[in-house]
Amino acid sequence: MIILAIALIVLGLFFFFGTSIGILRLPDFYSRAHAAGKADTLSTILIILGCALFHLHQAHYDLASFHVMAKLFVIIGFVFIGSPTATHAIMDAASAAGVEHWQKKKDKK
Amino acid sequence: MIFGLDALSLVLILICAILALYIKDLMGSVIVFGAYSFLMCVVWTCNAAVDVAFTEAAVGAGVGTVFLVSTIYNTRRVDTYRKNRVLKQLFMFLVVCVVGSILLKTITDLPHWGDAQAPANTHVSAYFLENSIADTHVPNVVTSVLADYRGFDTMFETCVVFVAFIAIFALLRTRKIPAKDLTPPHTPVDSLIIKVASHLMIPFMQLFALYVVAHGHYSPGGGFQGGVILGASLILLAISYDFERALEYLNEKKIILFVALGVLIYAGIGVICFFLGGNFLDYSVLSKILPATDTIMARSHAMLGVEVGVALTVMVSMYGIYLCLSSNGRMDKGI
Amino acid sequence: MIGFFSGVGIFLLLNIILVFIRALKGPTVIDRLLSINVIGTKCINLIIIAGIIFNRLDMFVDIAIGYGLLNYIAAVATAKFYHHNKTLVPPSGDLS
Repeated sequence: MIILAIALIVLGLFFFFGTSIGILRLPDFYSRAHAAGKADTLSTILIILGCALFHLHQAHYDLASFHVMAKLFVIIGFVFIGSPTATHAIMDAASAAGVEHWQKKKDKK
Repeated sequence: MIFGLDALSLVLILICAILALYIKDLMGSVIVFGAYSFLMCVVWTCNAAVDVAFTEAAVGAGVGTVFLVSTIYNTRRVDTYRKNRVLKQLFMFLVVCVVGSILLKTITDLPHWGDAQAPANTHVSAYFLENSIADTHVPNVVTSVLADYRGFDTMFETCVVFVAFIAIFALLRTRKIPAKDLTPPHTPVDSLIIKVASHLMIPFMQLFALYVVAHGHYSPGGGFQGGVILGASLILLAISYDFERALEYLNEKKIILFVALGVLIYAGIGVICFFLGGNFLDYSVLSKILPATDTIMARSHAMLGVEVGVALTVMVSMYGIYLCLSSNGRMDKGI
Repeated sequence: MIGFFSGVGIFLLLNIILVFIRALKGPTVIDRLLSINVIGTKCINLIIIAGIIFNRLDMFVDIAIGYGLLNYIAAVATAKFYHHNKTLVPPSGDLS
């Protein structure tokens, strides 16, 4: 069980590393919003899931740790609904304010 | 204390603060200031001060950012100042250096971190920590100190929140539009996605806030944090729907009624203790009228009643301040 | 185990520094809003990791729930501002 928890946390960290590189290097606001909205939410969910399994194992599966695990699932639910919606709101506002799309530069022969 | 996380967070906070001062656009400053508040909450958490972290998260990161954005919506976006102010800047720099060096000198006189003989750890704190469960049956010592041992201070804090709302309301509320109105023209925004997500989140936010108020005896929370989250849920209703729709649920008359009712509940419990023969806010005499409680449990129940009063005042204050700031006093349309 | 979780926390904070560079550089002010939203979501993880290191996760979970809700409110309110006031870069430049 601990190995599953550690694997989930490391996978979450890998996705978050991808998010931070993506936000730095992608050329346009709209492509950065893809990185920030989707990969960030997934990494948060995986890390919290890993922490929930770890806590369950650490407390030897007694009833209080199931209570804490239920609350962690509530956090996962809120982040799953709220974070992509917030990114949608930001992208909608940027589109209404007129941020330009990125064009690929044509090769000069 | 987790040293590594703490030190890195403090470095990031310093970078945030310098960046927030450096950016000319006021909206950029407000956004980076929101990050400052997020990271400050992490610092409090690494020092195991959970109640403070909860309050910082609720007030600074959530509601404070919304207030600042509403203010910028009704005023300018860029700071306007005169061109040559070198002399003023030099004077301010000197003042900062003098005051800063005095403060740095005072730090060397403070006791060591975690010193057992420090004044903060010896006089009354030891009594509170040892006797909180025996006197009041409440494990969370922060709540028992806040609502029982130091109940006067919390009552005046509630009054301060009340006075803040009344002051903002009295200054801003107007029934005619002034000649120089800086508000940009209002474009109505109708977004189905945000409405549905708010539909799903607002009832759970309110339920969670009631849980935080009621469970303040046993876990981090209490009246103030629960009240701020309740106010934030009403602000979310006002943002995702129209301003008028939110005003239908809780209009001005009800706001003013409830904000006074919260302070009345707090002070009223103290006055009831008078009539039963004890001192002001001496909760143990309430066991005479509460059925089937002894003096210890009477203190625990009275603490819950007092926290409900605080939560009511704070909820309506946050919501009312948002309404006044966002509509510039007109109460017709907001951000 | 404490060492592993401290390492996780420090790795998260170093990545937050990388996201912060976008908040510094971002040509428009909406790029800054995007990166601060990511930092807010990551602070939820940091609070839970701090809870596991202290071995008292039941205390820290309530703060994390409150945090997730308030991050959403701040992001939606700030994003709605740009529907009314469409200036993304002020006329005298962004950084002074």
